Amino acid sequence: MKTIQQKIWTLVAIVLSVMIAIWLTLTYYNQKTQDQYNDILQRYLEMNEVTNASQLVITNLNTFLIDPSIDNESKLSGSTKAVLKAQKSVTQLRNEENDFILTSYLNLIDSFVETVERSVSYQNAGDADSSVAQFSEANRISNYISEMTLSIIDSELKSYESFYRDIIIKSDELKQLGIWLLLLMTTILLILAYLFSLSITRPIHQLRTAADELSKGRFDLPIKVDSNDEVSFLAKTFDNMRVSINRLFDESQLKAQLEMELQENKLLLQESQLRILQSQINPHFLFNTLNTLSKKAYLEGSEETSDLLVSVAGLFRYNLKRMDRPVTLFEEVIVLKQYMEIQKARFPDRLYFHTEVDESCLHFEMPGLTLQPLIENAVIHAIEPQEDGGNIWFRIVDSENAIRIEIEDSGGGMSEDKRQQLLKGVIMPENGHSTGIGFNNVMKRLALFYNSETIVSIDSEEGNGTKIILELPKTRGIGDAGETIDRR
Amino acid sequence: MRKKVMITLLSLSAIFLIFTIASAEKVFRPSTELPKSLSVSDDSPRLVLITQELKTSFWGDVATGAERMAQDKGAQLEVWGSYGSNSDEFLKKLELAIHSKMDGIIVQGLDTEEFSELTKVKASFYGIPIITIANDVPKQESLRKTYVGSDQFKAGKLLAEDLVESMDYKGEIIILSDEESHYYQRQRIEGMMEVFDTEPLITVTNSRTSRSKEQVVAATQDFLNKSPNAQSIVAVNANHLNAMLQEISRRTQLEPYHIYSFDDGSDAFSLLQQGKIDALVKQSPIEMGEKSVELMMNWLSNETGSLDTNGYITDIELVKRADGS
Repeated sequence: MKTIQQKIWTLVAIVLSVMIAIWLTLTYYNQKTQDQYNDILQRYLEMNEVTNASQLVITNLNTFLIDPSIDNESKLSGSTKAVLKAQKSVTQLRNEENDFILTSYLNLIDSFVETVERSVSYQNAGDADSSVAQFSEANRISNYISEMTLSIIDSELKSYESFYRDIIIKSDELKQLGIWLLLLMTTILLILAYLFSLSITRPIHQLRTAADELSKGRFDLPIKVDSNDEVSFLAKTFDNMRVSINRLFDESQLKAQLEMELQENKLLLQESQLRILQSQINPHFLFNTLNTLSKKAYLEGSEETSDLLVSVAGLFRYNLKRMDRPVTLFEEVIVLKQYMEIQKARFPDRLYFHTEVDESCLHFEMPGLTLQPLIENAVIHAIEPQEDGGNIWFRIVDSENAIRIEIEDSGGGMSEDKRQQLLKGVIMPENGHSTGIGFNNVMKRLALFYNSETIVSIDSEEGNGTKIILELPKTRGIGDAGETIDRR
Repeated sequence: MRKKVMITLLSLSAIFLIFTIASAEKVFRPSTELPKSLSVSDDSPRLVLITQELKTSFWGDVATGAERMAQDKGAQLEVWGSYGSNSDEFLKKLELAIHSKMDGIIVQGLDTEEFSELTKVKASFYGIPIITIANDVPKQESLRKTYVGSDQFKAGKLLAEDLVESMDYKGEIIILSDEESHYYQRQRIEGMMEVFDTEPLITVTNSRTSRSKEQVVAATQDFLNKSPNAQSIVAVNANHLNAMLQEISRRTQLEPYHIYSFDDGSDAFSLLQQGKIDALVKQSPIEMGEKSVELMMNWLSNETGSLDTNGYITDIELVKRADGS
């Protein structure tokens, strides 16, 4: 992981090293040119030195000839040595182009020195005339030396001309190079700075966007940041926080849902109980009355009526006590049969009830008062409106994991729309139910009891009867809403 | 927006990079080579050819020949001299060459005392061999090793013979020569006179002039006035031709005159080609150059022992105007 500080230092180091490299190159280049300049200048100075030294010799010789003292002689020999020294340094200046003239030049200096020496020796020998003659010759040679110096310098200028011009051109080109280099460095620096700032600001921007989303309450978007510095660390921490919040949020939501379901369940129960209470006008009185009527009918020899009355009483009792706890399928079937007895008494010629019951399934538990409302529906919709009456089939089949209960009628059936509405619980129960418990109530209680929405299915076609199918699983689901509520 | 900025910056930097590289290439390309310095001098013989008339076609040819031969023989040769027969400058160069201790000096002879002094005293003091070229000096006065060039006496004779023939052996001839009596001019005139003297019908007038153009013009006017019947003019010094011809053509026509000269002037040949003069004695400058260097090298390497002090004579021929008139 790179820190932002490291990034800054890297950028600075790159820029700095490039600058230093350029500076070094240019300095080296300048130095080289300077050296060449110096070399060339040195040549001229050395040549000029010969001229100066030889002129000094002439002056000293003149002084010596006028006043031949030892002091003057030593001065003269000193200056002569200076000439020889200058000659020696000029020897170094030999190159391809000036070889010939330089040799002449050196020889000329030799001649000059020789002539001076001759003049001195004539003077010492007392031959003043010859000495003066030699002096004038030396003077002439000295003039030749200056002339030749000039002509050598002249030829040097010629042979170095292209070099000088090159230097001038190059100094111009160097200026241009400087400008281009400056522009290039500027743009590159701009690009680098831009990329660098982007590498810092983009992750921050992404982080801000993510924070915005969080503040709007969207906890499901993962926070992604393209970076490898501190910001990415920040982003990771932030993301962890988001995940934690998200989990907490989910948990509390689940809890709320559970509570809501519980509430609904309670409401349903209360509703059914209310309905029962409404229909329960002094049930003991009704029982007693029904029992009395039954006994009286029996005593009067009307056994059929007596049985019917017993059935009605049983039905009522069942209704009253079996709401809040699971009952066995067996009990349900009994109540169902009692109910059908009563209905048969109502429609002696029109109701044909067929049962197919698998006895092995009867011990399974299920919510009470579930089958009776359904069969009542079948009677209401299939038998009552038909003058010719109809058939109702009731089947209990064992199908491996579940008990399949079918209630089929030969009534008018229903449309697909209505079927859907029924399954969704949109249709309100009509009046006329003996218990006041409608299809909707049954469905919801079953769903709560088995904790599954797919218990009830309806198979119907308009004009072709209706078939209600309950698939009761043999093992019950987790939700055991039926037992949570005690009956007062 | 970001992309645009980025693309602009990138393309800009690419452009700048190209220019920077191009510029850097210019700056860092190797500079002009300086002449290589030598630690040891070339010890081949150093010769110098000194003339009074640098850059004339005649001396140009001499220099060409000499340089060619120097290259063949492995000698260093420089051509020094003065322009327009400036004898002071010429003598200075000669003295300089002697003081510079050249190995050999090939010089155009000059028949003056200073020249003799330099060649006789100074050159022999330094032990420098001297060969005269094209123009000789009397050998006893100069201590020159030898002479390379035309036999001027013969050249004069050659010219005179032709001139006399084209004049039908009668008439007046003007000989224009330098005031200072140069050895080679004397020889030429002697050669001519030998021919003219044998012709009784030929009369000769000598006219003398100095170098300057005004002097030549004055001399020309003078002889035109004095000898209006002269048919022929011989310019012993070809350098006088131009001024003389100008003056003549200003006064009369060139055609009737037989104008003869020698080729060692600055524009002698072009005048012949223009038809302004009638004939030239053509010498062999290239051969002179070659021969002189060869002889000098022989002397220095001591191949032939000694040189013939009488000189080595090169060819001459008479060249006439193309139309032959």
